Amino acid sequence: MTPFIDINQLSKTYQKGKTSVTPLEKLSLSVPKGEFLALMGPSGSGKTTLLNLVAGIDTPTTGQLIIDGQDIAGLSRAALAKWRSRHVGYIFQLYHLVPILSAFENVELPLLLSKMSRRERKAKVESALELVGLAERSGHRPSELSGGQEQRVAIARAIVHNPGLLVADEPTGDLDRESADNILRLLRELSREHEKTIVMVTHDPKAAAAADRCLHLEKGQLVDEPEPATFVA
Amino acid sequence: MLPFTYAVRNLFRDPSRLLQTVGGSALVVLLLTAAVAFNEGMDRVLSASGSPKNVMLVGKGSEESIERSEVPLAAESAAKTSIPGLASQLNTPAVSGEIIFQAPITPPSGESKQGQMRGVLPVALLVHPEVVLLEGHFPGPGEVMVGKLAPRKLGLAEEALALGEMLVIGEQEFRISGRFAAPGTVLESEFWLDRNDLATLMQRDSLSAVYVRLSDGEPEDVEVFAFQRNDLELSSIREDIYYDKLSRFYGPIKGMTWLTAALVAAGALFGGINTLYAAFASRIREMATLQAIGYTRGALLVSLIQESLLATLTGTLLAMVAALLLLEGRTIAFSMGAFELSLSPAVVLTGLVTGALLGTVGTLPPAIRTLAPALPKALRSN
Ligand SMILES: Nc1ncnc2c1ncn2[C@@H]1O[C@H](COP(=O)(O)OP(=O)(O)OP(=O)(O)O)[C@@H](O)[C@H]1O
Ligand SMILES: [Mg+2]
Repeated sequence: MTPFIDINQLSKTYQKGKTSVTPLEKLSLSVPKGEFLALMGPSGSGKTTLLNLVAGIDTPTTGQLIIDGQDIAGLSRAALAKWRSRHVGYIFQLYHLVPILSAFENVELPLLLSKMSRRERKAKVESALELVGLAERSGHRPSELSGGQEQRVAIARAIVHNPGLLVADEPTGDLDRESADNILRLLRELSREHEKTIVMVTHDPKAAAAADRCLHLEKGQLVDEPEPATFVA
Repeated sequence: MLPFTYAVRNLFRDPSRLLQTVGGSALVVLLLTAAVAFNEGMDRVLSASGSPKNVMLVGKGSEESIERSEVPLAAESAAKTSIPGLASQLNTPAVSGEIIFQAPITPPSGESKQGQMRGVLPVALLVHPEVVLLEGHFPGPGEVMVGKLAPRKLGLAEEALALGEMLVIGEQEFRISGRFAAPGTVLESEFWLDRNDLATLMQRDSLSAVYVRLSDGEPEDVEVFAFQRNDLELSSIREDIYYDKLSRFYGPIKGMTWLTAALVAAGALFGGINTLYAAFASRIREMATLQAIGYTRGALLVSLIQESLLATLTGTLLAMVAALLLLEGRTIAFSMGAFELSLSPAVVLTGLVTGALLGTVGTLPPAIRTLAPALPKALRSN
């Protein structure tokens, strides 16, 4: 079976004047459909860079990047935007909800990009909010929600258009233990019961333990075992 | 596309910014509207004042300034008999020798101000058919007839100079015998006196100009007359061309009007764009998040422009109401006379276009700067 995410010799170099940074170098990785993958590694090791490439937010310098059978490495900016709107849900550490919109309206945002009746949209938003356990808070603005609740709204927004891929960059990084565990349970449920392929960056070993598999990134490359130094801090 | 309500709500995100944008655009629109109304009013009065059927005979070399012109009295009767195709009424040919002069006038109450005087005989009504008596009668000796807008030149209300009141002109008193209108022309802000009175007052025996109104004659006939009677040292000029040249003389004033309006407007514009820079910059991460969801930069740009347009068009609306209250119908006096400001379709259109440009072109620089950063970088920003 072909993997859902198929990455081959992927490199990313940022050029800034004369100096260049290469946060990812010839990285290869494959992730089967429905897997919940955790990415760990020291700060600056390229985790966010890899996540952004997989989510079609950034484009690789060289290498192959195939998601669900489609090579997205060569897509134009506009084509990538369209691709993202159909296939990816992005979950941020700081939720990134739009402050002037209610929970309902935030979750509705991805649906406004496709032709859909208002009724259909309402049903989808409600079931997404239901899934994250916030059906009764749909009229609230982000400022009226706790951090854990905001992140759950953000997850509802990431799944409402039913994408196959979820990427999460330290989704529990700003939450207390209990809220974090809630979020992790939710992500597990999405991968187990809804067959979402999830790539999650985390610094928290407990969060990583919730995933099916954990990979370590160091200086832009995957390593089998974390170097002991990683745990000192 | 982002829903329109998103743009509306963004507008109210920061009430002080909203106030600034609405107020700023209102100011810009009002200023430009005023400038256009001013220039248009001046053009209108000058172009309406000249008739292509009227030819003026002035002293050679005084074609630019009728006030310096000297025309011998004999020219009037010579014109009557020699020029073919004159307009006439009851066998009176429409030829009017007139003395035009600026002098200080003192109203019954108040200080003296410079006023435009015209010494005429009743035949003047034949060459200036736009002049209509509103009340009273044509001035005889010791009398003065006041144009509808003339009180404005003395800083008085339109109705301030009533019949029977006395005006002091050059140490001599004149009774107001009538009021006249000459809609849309500079004549309307003049004081008309008996020609002989004015000649005595100014101690002159010459005219300023002889006005000739043609029916089937050609302006060239008048030119030929001036040429043939070179002993009178006359030069002929069509009245509409005369005012056209005057209008060009006022070009620098119109230019100054534009410049002043443009400078203040530019100041307000840059202030406004600066506010937008700050407002949009605080939304870089939000814009990036929307792009991560799949919104294109184009869609976000449209939303930002909608937002700005709402503010600037509200400002435009306020400016139009202000213009209606402050400008419409206001009389502006200038050296040649006076004119009324009017919110003509062209003036209103200028306002609307300005408001729309502020909301679109003015929004582009800050919007582009907000949407320019690469997505990964913008997502990290705070
Ligand atoms: N736009 C960019 N321009 C230049 N360098 C960049 C850019 N984005 C990332 N980098 C560099 O690439 C490297 C990897 O960054 P990345 O954000 O992927 O690290 P990370 O593993 O997510 O770190 P953290 O755990 O701190 O989030 C860093 O050295 C960073 O400075
Ligand atoms: Mg990171």
